[in-house]
Amino acid sequence: MIKMQEPEKIFETRELNVNMGPQHPATHGVLRVVLDLDGETIVRLTPYVGYLHRGIEKLGENLSYFQALPLTDRMDYVSAMSNNIGYCVAVEKLYGIEAPPRAKFIRTIVGELSRISNHLLWLATHALDIGAMTVFLYCFREREWILELFEMICGARLTVTYPRVGGVRNDISQEFIDHLVKFLAEFPSRILEYETLIDQNRIWLKRTVGIGVISAEEAINWGMTGPTLRGSGIPYDIRKFMPYDAYDQVEFEVPIGTAGDTYDRYRCRMLELRQSVKIIRQCLEKLPAGPVMADAPKFVLPPKDKMLIITHPVNEIAYFIDEKACKGCGMCLRACPAKAITGEKKKPHKIDQSLCLQCATCFVTCKFKALKIIPGGKGQPEEKLVELSAQPVADEFKKAQEALVAHFDFIKKGPKVPEGEVYVATEVPKGELGFYFVSDGTHKPYRMRVRSPSFIHAGCLERLCKGHLVADVIANIGTIDIVLGECDR
Amino acid sequence: MTFKHFIKTITFIEILKGMALTLRRMFSRAVTIQYPDERRKIAPGFRGQHALSKRGGKAKCVGCGLCATICPSQCISITREKGQVTKYQIELLRCIYCGFCVEACPYGAISLTGNYEYSAYNKQDLMMTKEKLLSNWDKYMPGTKGEEYYKKFWRPMSEDFGTPPGQAMYGGKR
Repeated sequence: MIKMQEPEKIFETRELNVNMGPQHPATHGVLRVVLDLDGETIVRLTPYVGYLHRGIEKLGENLSYFQALPLTDRMDYVSAMSNNIGYCVAVEKLYGIEAPPRAKFIRTIVGELSRISNHLLWLATHALDIGAMTVFLYCFREREWILELFEMICGARLTVTYPRVGGVRNDISQEFIDHLVKFLAEFPSRILEYETLIDQNRIWLKRTVGIGVISAEEAINWGMTGPTLRGSGIPYDIRKFMPYDAYDQVEFEVPIGTAGDTYDRYRCRMLELRQSVKIIRQCLEKLPAGPVMADAPKFVLPPKDKMLIITHPVNEIAYFIDEKACKGCGMCLRACPAKAITGEKKKPHKIDQSLCLQCATCFVTCKFKALKIIPGGKGQPEEKLVELSAQPVADEFKKAQEALVAHFDFIKKGPKVPEGEVYVATEVPKGELGFYFVSDGTHKPYRMRVRSPSFIHAGCLERLCKGHLVADVIANIGTIDIVLGECDR
Repeated sequence: MTFKHFIKTITFIEILKGMALTLRRMFSRAVTIQYPDERRKIAPGFRGQHALSKRGGKAKCVGCGLCATICPSQCISITREKGQVTKYQIELLRCIYCGFCVEACPYGAISLTGNYEYSAYNKQDLMMTKEKLLSNWDKYMPGTKGEEYYKKFWRPMSEDFGTPPGQAMYGGKR
């Protein structure tokens, strides 16, 4: 027999549980948001992160400081250059070295270019989410221009790996400067175009004004940084408060909002675009001549042209073990990739010249200086090599040998870092990106921790969305400008 | 609601302004490229598919293994036999194109070419062997192109630690 349900139970009001993401087109990556809805109003919102977790922090512990640089590209791939700069500034502080002024200015220029490209992508996707398709296309037109500029200086468009610890990879060319000047002349008028389209648009205003309001005090308590915080009226900018690179030598304003809603945060970012143009222009005018790599022989790659005498096969060199100096430790024997070295323990080793690759590995591993590089010794009989090895080495050749040893050491192990810890924060387009290193005195960090703005902003999502409608979740995810690559790391 | 605001609301002035802009843009030159038919010119020093460089018809690589050591994604493997590099393999699917192998090589034996169109149907075609890499050099770095590549992008050089003559400046002045 079927029992009749009580009438109240049939019409009971329940909260609706809705999954948004991780493959929702408007979640800017793989963010999963679980919504509890009362009708269309949000009662509870829980962001789930970690779908793009690659363990970058752990990977960093297993790579040398030089090697871990490309990992930072893959964190916030929208503004890879800023991430690289943040990493380099932090490691430089740990090493105790400083980049030369020209490198600092170049890094400031590319950092600001990356800020522009990030804000353009943010504006494009934010406007697209809310419903303005044209802005999306216009923003990508200019972003393409910046990516082409990046390609011009480093050969890559997105994952640039251009800054290096102690400077930048290569100097900028005159062609790049000319193109950049053209871009700077054109870009402010393009910002006006975006503003014509959406600044006063009634749909845009309806979707952004009064949405996701957060007061200044609350924004600080939630740990917000960058434009997301400045929209609430706090002029906190690391470029002003703790200047790195060349930011202490340029003049710029920190735009702030008043209401702390989505529209104010949008206005902040639009004004920041103009400030970035201003900064780049000043940097170009003040760009000094000089080196682009720091003169810190232990911590940066040695110049390659210094060892060309040895690495250039024209010189026809041969490697030879001095029997008197060789202690028979077996270091070279184990290191030789071609297994050309033979010998017993505690007896002088020998190189089989027919097997030798002439790669210099044995030369750089020998601690007793028993290995000799003999110019013009290739293909000579052994008696001749003994004779040649007794000759004093030219000064130039000696320097090349030193550079080669330094190069091999740098690549195989990386520079040793004194014990200690360091936290350096930089202002990336999304907020405060902090790198925290703990060094135990070896070649690799004992702990690498990244304070990524996106992760902290993703946590604020519930606070921003509560009480709003479902459609406003999209606007709120857009306004905090998160990239899940950086959030999940 | 003020009178001005009222007029703005009923005339759709801001929407008309935006539409005027898009209408104007309709008559300007298109910025898009019809990809397979036309290709954009890539910049020198583009970090694409690898090549092993040659000098006098012979590979410069001696097989010291520094590139394999520095590679963050460990995609290079080298085997040597009897004073020869018998196997030099790059797994393209693992490579992240950071260009560290170029920087690590003291012999200037490896380079990144401008080739970015190398999709394949199976994994084996994306394993670059020594022969494929050497033929890439002839294909994508003909003439003096390879030399110029090393001049510009094989870094750091001594001039990076000093002030080279003719350094790029704003306005072309020193």
